[in-house]
Amino acid sequence: MLEIKNLTKSYGEVLALDRFSLELNPGEVLGLLGPNGAGKTTLISILAGTLRDFTGTVTFQGRNLFADRGLKNRLGIVPQEMAFYDELTAMDNLLFWGGLYDVPRTDIKRRAGELLELVELAGRGREPVKNFSGGMKRRLNTAIGLLHRPDLLLLDEPTVGIDVQAKVSILEIIRGVGAAGTAVIFTTHQLSEVETTCSRIAIMDRGRILAGGTLDDLVRIVGERDIVEIVGDFAAAPFSEALQDLAGSGVELLSAADGLASLAVSATEQIPRVMDRLFRARLAVTDMKIKSPSLETVFLKLTGRSLRD
Amino acid sequence: MRRMFLVLENDLRRRLKAPLAIVIFIAIPLAMTGLIGVIFGPRAEESRLPPIPVLLVDHDKSIASKLILSSFDVDQMKKMFQVTVTDEAEGHRRMEAGKASAMVVIPERFTLDLLETKPVTFQVVKNPAEQFLPDVVEEFMRTMGVILSAVIQAFEDEVRGLRFMIETPLESFSWETLGPELGKAQKKMIAASKYLDPLLIRLKEEETKATGAKTRISRADLFSMILPGMAVMFLLFIVQTVMRDIISDREDGKLRRMMTTPLRPMELIAARLLSGWVTGMAVLLIMAAAGTLIFHVTWGPFGYFLWLSAAASFWTAAFFALFHALVRNRNQAGAFSAPIILAFSIFGGSMMNPEAMPQAFRAVGILTPNRWFIDGAAFIRDGGFPLIPILILAGSGIVLAALAVPALSRRIMV
Repeated sequence: MLEIKNLTKSYGEVLALDRFSLELNPGEVLGLLGPNGAGKTTLISILAGTLRDFTGTVTFQGRNLFADRGLKNRLGIVPQEMAFYDELTAMDNLLFWGGLYDVPRTDIKRRAGELLELVELAGRGREPVKNFSGGMKRRLNTAIGLLHRPDLLLLDEPTVGIDVQAKVSILEIIRGVGAAGTAVIFTTHQLSEVETTCSRIAIMDRGRILAGGTLDDLVRIVGERDIVEIVGDFAAAPFSEALQDLAGSGVELLSAADGLASLAVSATEQIPRVMDRLFRARLAVTDMKIKSPSLETVFLKLTGRSLRD
Repeated sequence: MRRMFLVLENDLRRRLKAPLAIVIFIAIPLAMTGLIGVIFGPRAEESRLPPIPVLLVDHDKSIASKLILSSFDVDQMKKMFQVTVTDEAEGHRRMEAGKASAMVVIPERFTLDLLETKPVTFQVVKNPAEQFLPDVVEEFMRTMGVILSAVIQAFEDEVRGLRFMIETPLESFSWETLGPELGKAQKKMIAASKYLDPLLIRLKEEETKATGAKTRISRADLFSMILPGMAVMFLLFIVQTVMRDIISDREDGKLRRMMTTPLRPMELIAARLLSGWVTGMAVLLIMAAAGTLIFHVTWGPFGYFLWLSAAASFWTAAFFALFHALVRNRNQAGAFSAPIILAFSIFGGSMMNPEAMPQAFRAVGILTPNRWFIDGAAFIRDGGFPLIPILILAGSGIVLAALAVPALSRRIMV
């Protein structure tokens, strides 16, 4: 349904999207995972039609997304900002934003009522939005993007800055939308959100997809290995140097920063060898944890840095 | 088109939901007009000074003192002074109680000394608690003294005869002696009448007959002159606030969201221009109606005023559309808009009469909407259709809008 080919966009010298390509089918919920500056918002902005001066093609339902204005009726956007009018009621906002699409007015009213129920704001629909909490505003922001029943829903970090209850509610809505057949692209830097919500995950950094697939596909990248997290008073360079000759014997250094490093080991028997090398190199280790492989480990392996970096 | 009207409807609904800013901007010019009118306007009849309370103590009780008393009794003097004749002790008591502005004491033998052409003295006791009113009484008595002195000196011989008449008992008075005295007096009166009738010096009251000027400016006329200037100044403030949506929607992400819908940039720009235009016209009409109801302001034919309001509001909407296309953010818009509006208002005559301004200021004034709106409103008051102000406002408004549209289109798309 959606085919993105070689999408490239730069801001001056900075390459925000680097020959980005992706395909998406109806009902798929794609989680775009990446640290700040990975290019997630740039991608959403281009798909939404609010960013120009890029190269590459985007085909949606067999047509050029940017040449056919009518396709905007099939696209739903939930921006990062609370983009609605605070002085109006939730219902007025839904009617206004929904009215900008080619939806009959009577349908909009009915649909607005349904969505207020869905986002649990039915009792507050006639109240000015300025009285709402952050979580309620986020839910309304999401509802506005769904009013015209889009075939493709783009959500740019829809759970930023809200409480757990509101977050769970929004993720539930996203799952429901996907289950109803709408394709969803959902950007975040919360690993847990994509693990629980998305049918497909793409790890993105520096404008490119580093790896994509289901959660299991991605975990397989790290392999059936244990992950060892080492904390101590050491610098990254001597740490990497100390373990250099173990690389071919079932020990893989996933990431190393000053004071914190992650390794993948084929068997727990490898751990004493690792510790021995570190003591010999006079590197002080204060803590060590053994973990099962997770999306976080995959991310570390692929990008060499934490999502929060 | 449907989407353009939807955005317009939404903008107007938002104004109605949060009308405080507009209400304040409508109330301020009305309040300022009221204050200026009250402070600088002509005084109403009932606001004139009340008669000055004066106490008069007459120790003489003769012809001259009665003459002074009767001079206070003529109509014109009655409006100025409220005279109470009393004795000196009661007079002092009342003065100490602050019941009068001044006390005039006419001494004993006042008439006889006058007739003998001896110097005589009035005493004027002034109330120290009052600033101006006792001085008015003092001046009046001084003038009275000058007049009496002049009359006594001019009719010196006759006055002596008069004194003789007063002092001589009736049974020993010789009427034969009165004939020549009266004959001399008649001659002097005839000679004096040449100067008195008609008077050599006369006072003529005349009011200006300048073109367009009314014979007398009432307070309502003054309001009619002040309110258009105030109205156009606050029209600029209100429309500026409305048009700021262009930039605040952009900063809040609402503009981006709108551009993800089938709404076209031109539809959005047209809706915003219409929003500023319609709001501006509504505000001007409300101010005009309020001015008529509260201050009895006359605007002239309503249809003409509607045309002028439409032209001024369109100019203002177009100007602020361009302004918001050029500024970077809402802080910059806030920082620049107020000085621009104040400059327009000063040079354009909203704050002072353009005729009282230096030539250079007046030359700059013709570049402002204030000047053309004020001139147009004055023209309508005199019954004319303000074709030139309307053409200038509408024409320059179209030019501004033509510049604003491409500039805004660029700002809408990142």
